[in-house]
Amino acid sequence: MPRHIKIGLIVFGIGGAIAMGFFVDIVGRVRSMVNERETEENPFKPPAQPLYSPTDPPMAVKVFFPAESGDSLLVAEDQTIFQSAEIANRARQILQKIQEGPKLDTMLAPLPKDAKVQDLFISEQGTAFIDFSDAMATAHPGGVLNELTTIYSIVDSLTYNLPEIKQVKILIGGVEKETLAGHCLLLLPLEMDLSITNVMPRDEKIAQLPRSASAVARSIN
Amino acid sequence: MKLIRIAISLAALGAALFFFGGLIRAADTNIPIYFPNSKLVVKAEVLNRVTYLPIKQVIEFMGIPYTDALALETLTIRSGNSRLLMTKNSALVSYNDQILLLPSPILREDGRWLAPIEFLTIGLTRLTGTEFRYRAGAPRIYAENVDAPELEMNAQTLGPITRLTLRCSVPLNVELKRDDQRAILAIDRSVDPFRERLDHRDRMVRSVVFDDSDGNAKIVVDTTRDVTDMRLTAADNNRVYFLDLFTKREPVTEAVPPPALPAAPAARPDVIPAERKVRVVVIDPGHGGMDTGAKSAAIAEKDFTLALARKLRSALQTRLGTTVLLTRDSDVALDNEARSAVANNNQANLFISVHAGYSTNKTDAGSSVFVMKENFGEGFTTASATGRDQLFLPWYLGYRIHQQASVSAANFLQEALSKAIPGSKFAVRTAPLAVLSSATMPSLLLEMGNLNNPMNAQTLTDASFQSRLAATIADAVQRFSESPQAAAN
Repeated sequence: MPRHIKIGLIVFGIGGAIAMGFFVDIVGRVRSMVNERETEENPFKPPAQPLYSPTDPPMAVKVFFPAESGDSLLVAEDQTIFQSAEIANRARQILQKIQEGPKLDTMLAPLPKDAKVQDLFISEQGTAFIDFSDAMATAHPGGVLNELTTIYSIVDSLTYNLPEIKQVKILIGGVEKETLAGHCLLLLPLEMDLSITNVMPRDEKIAQLPRSASAVARSIN
Repeated sequence: MKLIRIAISLAALGAALFFFGGLIRAADTNIPIYFPNSKLVVKAEVLNRVTYLPIKQVIEFMGIPYTDALALETLTIRSGNSRLLMTKNSALVSYNDQILLLPSPILREDGRWLAPIEFLTIGLTRLTGTEFRYRAGAPRIYAENVDAPELEMNAQTLGPITRLTLRCSVPLNVELKRDDQRAILAIDRSVDPFRERLDHRDRMVRSVVFDDSDGNAKIVVDTTRDVTDMRLTAADNNRVYFLDLFTKREPVTEAVPPPALPAAPAARPDVIPAERKVRVVVIDPGHGGMDTGAKSAAIAEKDFTLALARKLRSALQTRLGTTVLLTRDSDVALDNEARSAVANNNQANLFISVHAGYSTNKTDAGSSVFVMKENFGEGFTTASATGRDQLFLPWYLGYRIHQQASVSAANFLQEALSKAIPGSKFAVRTAPLAVLSSATMPSLLLEMGNLNNPMNAQTLTDASFQSRLAATIADAVQRFSESPQAAAN
């Protein structure tokens, strides 16, 4: 083989090796960028703590579910939870009931099947912060009315049964989201709205009692 | 043997290029430094992702004495009794015998001293007391108390036109210069843009870039050949400017009227001569792009909303002669703020967002007309906030000024739809809706049917049903336009 061809081949080979090096470097960088986004699952999960103790008394609650039809968007279903010492644990129990869905066929399940409550805490001002898993938004089928009933079944069920909770702030995947599925604003904490339910506010119920009955109630107190 | 030597040296060269390739000079940019009554444009060099400034040029401009010791390879800058000493290839700077550390070493090339941009704040501010301000990635520096108001740029495709909006907190003088395929908006003072360039491309705009590399602020709009005309309009005492780009395909009469001027009535034979209170209607087809909205086997929500919005646009234009703009006229994703911004920017008198419903109950076929939930966000306004605190008030309450008119428009729509489509339920409801919350005009959201109901989904895909629906909505808009509630707008 002539000498100049040999030199040419060697130069070509080195050039190829350098190009390959750059390519490997670029691929490595892209991979590292992609990998950075992946988050590992926490291997040290805290042990599941019971939401109530065996001595806690039962507590009747109204859990709001989307109505299949009718004038009210949400319909209350009577359920029982346990009156645990911590309000947050009572709230978790109510959320469990919402996740499980209604017992009657005339109501619909408000949450997507895979949605899970990741965290819940209640601030001193009475705002319950609930962090749902990403599935709450990604698996939501959409629709304004559907989104509204999902949100208010949570807000109304918590604020109606637990007066300590004044408002509810919904987080998704650990962060604040503008909307759940593109419609309803989640940036501000939401307050109870019973106008879309078949239940009257508690104070209005007392006001509508006959005089004698409210006088009796006062004398008992 | 000779061959091996050549090969080894070539391999070494290749390896050196591979390892030190990152240090190769990236680009040179001109950076203006704005002083209170003057400005200096320096040629900055970007080396290994660090911006270097020719420091001698800066201190000469500021009139600060210095000594450039060629033999020692040091530069000494003096101010009063203070002294700052920098050495070639060192990130350590001596300030009155105190050591300061720079994030990158100082370089000296061809007699030029190059210091990383941080040297201004770490070294020069201590020495002279002159403060420097700059944002990471922004190619401009402000010295001392130079007032540079923030400039916001925004571009939108509004049906037949493309509109570039400029907003500033102080009045500006902007001059439009037109080149072959370029529009240059020259601004008469130094401003601080939020963004250097807009990520906006459409059939008329290639790029929108803010440029002050020669010390004169200007916005360069690269346009395509489709642009036949452009118009610059000022509003809000020269604090807001609109640059409208027109294309030959659409008649110019359909373009958005300048907001500061009364709208010119379109010359159409079927236009109602009575005083129209609704002059500009913005229709928002819900969802778009990756965000398909609710889905059925027959249609995706984003396609239904766009088809209905287009039909509604032509119905409103024919019947009322109003200017009608769509927030999107193609399959693109938009966030909720951008949607209401189209209505706000164009001084719309009515904003209608169109959606399709979805219920897990497959037999449900109800529709709703939504208005913003009354008193939403009321508990979170800081009415007592003063001064700077007011800057942080959330912009969720824009809807409140026209809440009553929104309810009235929703009632007109509900009435018209209930009559035109008997057997279907239309309820007026309230909800905390993101797209309506910051719309500062009567605004409503129509949610049609249930895409989970196969019969209902089939009806919604029917073009003749869509046309009937559009005509009914146009009827309701006409009735609202003639009502006293619309006058309050």
